[in-house]
Amino acid sequence: MILNYIKIAFRTLFKNKGYSFLNIFGLAIGITCASLIFLWVEDEVSFDSNFPKQDQVYYVPTHQEYDGEWRTFNSTPGPLAEAMKTEIPGIDKATPTKQADFLFTVGDHAINRSGRYVNADFIDIFSLNFIEGHKDQAFNTPEAIVITQETAEELFGKDTKVLGKTLRVNNKDNYQISGVIENLPKNITFPFNWIAPYERYTKGKEFTKEYGSFFADTFVALSPEAHFETVDAQVRNLLEQKTGESDSKAFLHAITDWHLRDKFENGKQVGGGILYVRLFTIIALIILLIACINFMNLSTARSEKRANEVGVRKAMGSGRSRLIFQFITEALILAFIATLVSILLLFLLLPQFNLIIAKDLVLGLSNPVHLLVLLGITLVCGVFAGLYPAFYLSSFKPVEVLKGLKVTQGSASFIRKGLVVGQFTISIVFIISTILVYQQIQHVKNRDLGYNKEQLISLNVNGNMIEKFDIIKQDLLKTGAITSVGLSNSELLSGGNNGSGLEWTGGTNTEDVLISFRYVNSDFLKTVGMELVEGRGFSENKEKDSSSVLITESFAKLMGTGSAIGKQVMRDDVYTVIGVVRDYQYGDMYGQSDPVLFHNYHEESSFMYLKTNPKIAPNEMLTLVEGVLKHHNPAFPFEYKFVDDTFNNKFKSEQLVGKLSQIFAILAILISCLGLFGLAAYTAEQRSKEIGVRKVLGASVSGIVRLLSKDFLKLVGLAIIIAIPIAWYSMHNWLQAYAYRIEINWWIFVIAGVVAILIALVTVSFQAIKAALANPVDSLKTE
Amino acid sequence: MKNKLLSLNIASKTVNLGSHKIALLDKIDLQVHEGEFISLMGPSGSGKSTLLNCIGMLDRFTDGGYTFLGEPVHSMKEKNRSRLYKEYIGFVFQAYHLIDELTVYENIETPLLYKNIKSSERKAMVADMLDRFNIVGKKDLFPMQLSGGQQQLVGIARALIGKPKLILADEPTGNLNSKQSDEIMELFAQLNEEGVTIIQATHSESNAAYGSRIINLLDGKIV
Repeated sequence: MILNYIKIAFRTLFKNKGYSFLNIFGLAIGITCASLIFLWVEDEVSFDSNFPKQDQVYYVPTHQEYDGEWRTFNSTPGPLAEAMKTEIPGIDKATPTKQADFLFTVGDHAINRSGRYVNADFIDIFSLNFIEGHKDQAFNTPEAIVITQETAEELFGKDTKVLGKTLRVNNKDNYQISGVIENLPKNITFPFNWIAPYERYTKGKEFTKEYGSFFADTFVALSPEAHFETVDAQVRNLLEQKTGESDSKAFLHAITDWHLRDKFENGKQVGGGILYVRLFTIIALIILLIACINFMNLSTARSEKRANEVGVRKAMGSGRSRLIFQFITEALILAFIATLVSILLLFLLLPQFNLIIAKDLVLGLSNPVHLLVLLGITLVCGVFAGLYPAFYLSSFKPVEVLKGLKVTQGSASFIRKGLVVGQFTISIVFIISTILVYQQIQHVKNRDLGYNKEQLISLNVNGNMIEKFDIIKQDLLKTGAITSVGLSNSELLSGGNNGSGLEWTGGTNTEDVLISFRYVNSDFLKTVGMELVEGRGFSENKEKDSSSVLITESFAKLMGTGSAIGKQVMRDDVYTVIGVVRDYQYGDMYGQSDPVLFHNYHEESSFMYLKTNPKIAPNEMLTLVEGVLKHHNPAFPFEYKFVDDTFNNKFKSEQLVGKLSQIFAILAILISCLGLFGLAAYTAEQRSKEIGVRKVLGASVSGIVRLLSKDFLKLVGLAIIIAIPIAWYSMHNWLQAYAYRIEINWWIFVIAGVVAILIALVTVSFQAIKAALANPVDSLKTE
Repeated sequence: MKNKLLSLNIASKTVNLGSHKIALLDKIDLQVHEGEFISLMGPSGSGKSTLLNCIGMLDRFTDGGYTFLGEPVHSMKEKNRSRLYKEYIGFVFQAYHLIDELTVYENIETPLLYKNIKSSERKAMVADMLDRFNIVGKKDLFPMQLSGGQQQLVGIARALIGKPKLILADEPTGNLNSKQSDEIMELFAQLNEEGVTIIQATHSESNAAYGSRIINLLDGKIV
């Protein structure tokens, strides 16, 4: 029996190549889309899942209160970890850590790798596996360093024993390799290539022992029997116990939440990447739904062709359930073929998709989970898409269809129209969303930042770049490729050193405003293109301005009315305001940045900014700059970033959403059009006799095209009406997450509507014109 | 007298067309015994096809009684009726109604599938039938590749494969030329001799003459 069904399915398939193609191709696109999204989702949710202690490991961020609002920071005071471990029962392991970049030199081979200063508990918290050395002896000496296998191979080549070898770090310190650990998976939130003893970092740094400096990343592991709520409550009270102040609360952030639930608002967890994971999962399901709708539509549209078969089979004694079974089998076979096609598509598209999302996803068909999901999608699609046609087709009465009566299309055509409206509604929502996401990204990117990010490169300060700054600067300017050189302790675009508790003349309520501190040289403002609205910048003569500060406009506003020039700020020492800088944007590009205080002190700068001469080609400019730096700072490799690239990177997740919604909008429309195309073909075929009669009676070709297109356009029109409020509502909600956002313009809806109508028109009119041009004699003769 | 196969007792069928009630069949009384060959005659619209469909249980009478092999069809559930006609009745259609996607062999085999007959047994039965109708050489062809007469031959083979007691044929030769038509009627006569009861609807006097009894219908009534 089943063989008989399969045979019939394949013969029907080949006999109606056009329909089969539309059906299979539509479904294959849907499955491909969904598979890509599910692969991405799998990667996202599997972050940090390779560490064995999934329900014991926690990161310790802090909520801090400023201006009545709780903000969340990824840093803790140095002594916190030890205090947690000794004073809170249930905390088994704890380590403060400090992230750092090391330049490793072996012979004349040098590589830059980031890693962490940690204490020995870190090894247990993340259950690191040692290939060389032993975890208990890894941190026996302060000179010890443990590196990953990858790093070891890059430094010493493959299959070399490296235990005990000496590593030169940053061209000044020596470390001894005390262990090699297995490579870490790519998808972890806190990646590292090496770990070294924490004491080596804290040596001679008094602030690391104080509760007032928040700088360390703290990781802890709870004992297996510990109760999370109890431990967390104690952690939240710990800082107050230590400092007597209640405006900072450390808390436990579970390893399973690190990647996708890392956003906090006013001390409450508000999600993070999980929102996009959910959003795209829903999109995947919607696209599958559209593809299934197509399938249903095309199958029921073709019902007349199958009606005869249904009648005969019923007359031969087939019950309804057997027919339902038969049609679902057919749908399943098509779904399986679609899956095979989509596997092929996945092989072709996955590399492109990886480029877009900057990941390394693999299809992994040998992975049983992947196979099961794919099989699941196939079965669900097949059964879901086949169910309605099966019930519809099997309901035909043999007497009617065998007599050659027209199958009454009432309910079926209503449902079919409903499905088309549904498809187009979804497509239009996608179109509108895509436009708005794009607009929002452009809007923020074109925001006046308060500085000029073009023609600007940043270098990490290392080696003797500070000691030799004056000569380096001179040589850079001499090349003609660079017009100005700035230094700063923090990155221009990021947050960084900040604090509160300043006092100033005439100041009130100074305690809880968060101020960012920047230590810059005199040319910094000029280099990055910040604008002085009042007063003057720092002079070249450092001594002269050692007790001068610059502030931003928002800071000036805090100091009260009247010119801020000449007012005094108390911060360890007394400083005089000599200039006011226009507010600029850093950190969260969508929000309002905190006020900034600039000091004229560049000795501890970490970043060097170079304004380039636009007349010199970038390649030449880079060669010239590299020459100067290699000359004065030969031990360190020349590494640079263009600030506008860094800026663009800040929009990665939004841009990802933008690109993906673009792709999915196009695919949703494509699938919907496949369906519409099939339906139009069917309608034209069904009405061929009517068209013939009309032509004989003198109807024009254009009149007939209009007649055939009109019905479909009505459906698309209805879809537009339904889609607009849905799109408006959901995009309005999305935009609320951004303080700096666009207004939703009415003309976007007009554009989306016009696009949808045009696409539908092109799809339908092809068939309509074909039908209208047909010779009426042919269509009338057939009866 | 032979066994009674079926009997209709003032059976009627009416349909509602708007507010009008139209009687397609009006108080039909009919006894059919096993081994009969009945020809239904009458002009188009006189109710021949409707009567055949109702007897074949593809359609129902709206009034009156219908007994088939002693079982009361009029009060039966769909499922039991389906079991009954699957077992005892074969259909032959004017437009053949073969399944285009199936070969000759598979078309003939289809009713057996619905009777859940084992594969080996099916093979033997279909082979017999192909043999008997001399169409072994055509078993792998599709209906489109056959002439009308050959298609009808396959249609009859399909109707016979389930070894029915009754064959209902609705203008079986309506689409055929006179030579093919005669061959089909000869076949029916031969089947009738072998004991199969046949009821056919026809316009043609000469075809009707093959039957053992002629029933004339006009406006849904036996005249």
